[in-house]
Formats: sequence, structure tokens, C-alpha cells
Amino acid sequence: MAGFATLSQAWMAWDGPAPAPEDAIVDHTRELDKFLSEVERRAFRIAQVSLRDEDDALDVVQDAMLKLARNYSAKPSAEWRPLFYRILENGIRDLQRRRAVRKRLMAWMPGPKEDPDEEAVDPLENVAAGGADVPGLLMQEQAMSRLEISLRALPARQREAFMLRNFEGLDVAETAKAMGCSEGSVKTHYSRAVHTLREQLGEVW
Amino acid sequence: MNEQSSFEEHGRRLFEASVENLDMRVRSRLTQARHAALDVSTTPRLRFLRLPVWTSAAGVTAAGVLAFAIWFGSPLARPHHAPQLPETQASLEDLDLVAASDENNAAPMEMLQDDIDFYEWAADHTAGTDPGNVG
Repeated sequence: MAGFATLSQAWMAWDGPAPAPEDAIVDHTRELDKFLSEVERRAFRIAQVSLRDEDDALDVVQDAMLKLARNYSAKPSAEWRPLFYRILENGIRDLQRRRAVRKRLMAWMPGPKEDPDEEAVDPLENVAAGGADVPGLLMQEQAMSRLEISLRALPARQREAFMLRNFEGLDVAETAKAMGCSEGSVKTHYSRAVHTLREQLGEVW
Repeated sequence: MNEQSSFEEHGRRLFEASVENLDMRVRSRLTQARHAALDVSTTPRLRFLRLPVWTSAAGVTAAGVLAFAIWFGSPLARPHHAPQLPETQASLEDLDLVAASDENNAAPMEMLQDDIDFYEWAADHTAGTDPGNVG
């Protein structure tokens, strides 16, 4: 094996990892496609609950997909889910920070002060057309709207823990990886979130 | 099933129903996003984009050192009202003198040439040649 005097020489000589066989690439792509198609809709709804904006949610999900595919697709597929949600949650937090800055700047500008994110959502708009049980769907939509409003009122970490554990079905260890914290913190955040939500929604939900 | 589990299960069912009821526009855009991500995963990245992190760090450091050197070497780094050091002043005056003398000198290297002749001679002399040839 050839030795290298400096690290830069080693880098110059290295020609990247050995190319994978064609079959392996196809299998890998298929696996990634399956994974993304499984998570994309739930990821979108999770982002939408946090961001209250459809286009922003789509952008954040697309960004998370691209980053996962570009940077982490070579990792074992078992690691994709927590990695993907970690990227997603980071994207959501970044966007919320940018909005907070924009809001502070807008407060100094002349003109209407209404925040477009505060638009009231009409549950009827989201009811899928052609459904047989419209009243049932409407009730579901209303219940979900109440849950979303309560979720948004939670501290961010509690909301993340609840959505990842309850909506996405990650276990405690995966949620800890996705949130970048300890499993004990996940349990605490989740427990507090459930407690608060039950207090707010329990009687009328 | 206890009360908490029931609550959590209810929330999960509502969420799944909202996922199922997503409209076609959103579904379509998610599919497009997925395909874009898959394209990225199968496209090999360019070799130069895989440079190690230390390469960019070294570049930034080198640029910083260069900027530092340029800045402190430029007159902008010294306020006009700041007193200059006497040595610096003397050096500049010396340079002026040399430049002025060179302007009127038809053979500016002549003086140096004389010195070289002298040193050659001195060297020969100390090696044991005839001292009587001087002059």
C-alpha cells in the first residue's frame, strides 16, 4: 500500500469510493423511493401544523428530501427515518426563526400589520370532495383543527415530541435522534405535551 | 386501554385521516419533490465538490492572512494625523536621496561596479598577490 507524505497528497490520489454495481444502484434508489413515499405526506402535515402554510411546508419537506438523498442516502436505510425528521425539524425551526425576524422588521415598516400566517382556516375548504360522510368528515376536520391550534400553543420541543411520537410513530430512541436530545428529554416533553393537550381538548374533543 | 392511550389513539386517527384527505395538488408536488430527490441521489457529485473541509478552512485562513498583510501594508491602515516613526521617515528620505541621485547619474551602476572591483582586488590581495599593483 502506497504511503502519503501529506494529507493533501492522499486526497489527490483518492478517486472516491468504488462505484456500486448497476443493480445495487437500482435497488438503493427503489428503497429510497419507497421510504420517501411512505413519509412524505405525514411529513408534510407535520410541517404544515408547525408552519401554518402549505407552500412553506412543501418547501421544507422538499428540502429535507433533497438533503437526505444528497448527504445521507448512503447510510443504512434503518437510519433514514430519524435523520429525515431531524432535517425536517431543523428546516421548520429555521423558517420559524426567519419569520420571527421578518415580523420584527415588518413592525417598523409602514402599512398593514396583519400577519398572513394568522389567516383563519375554514375546515370546509379541506374536506375532500366526493366523500359519502360529509358531516363525519367535517367533524374530523374540526377536531383536527382544534388539535392543531392546541399543538401550536405548545412549546416547540413538546410539539415536536408529540408529533414525532404520536403522528409519525417513532419510538423514543428514534425521536431522541430526530430531536437531537436524550431519551429522557423526549419522555418528559411528550408527557407534558399529552398532559397539556388533554387538559385543553379532553372535554370538548 | 387507559384514558391517555385513548386520547393518543384518537389524535393519531385524526392525523391519519387528515393525511388521507390531502388534495391532489399537494400530492403531486410531493411526488415531484421525491423524484427530484431521487435524481440527486443517483447523480454523482463532481470531484471538486468533494474537497475536504480543511481545504476551505485553509483557503479562508490564507485569504485572512493576505487581507491582514495588505491592510497593514497600505496607507489606509495609518491615519493621516498619526505621527510617523523617525526610522520610517529616515528610510523614506534615504529612498528619495537615492532616487534623486540616480536621476542625474548616467551610469547608476558604476558606483557599485567600483566597489566590486575593489573587493576583487582586496580578495586577491589577501590571497598573496603583489600589493604594489594598487593604484
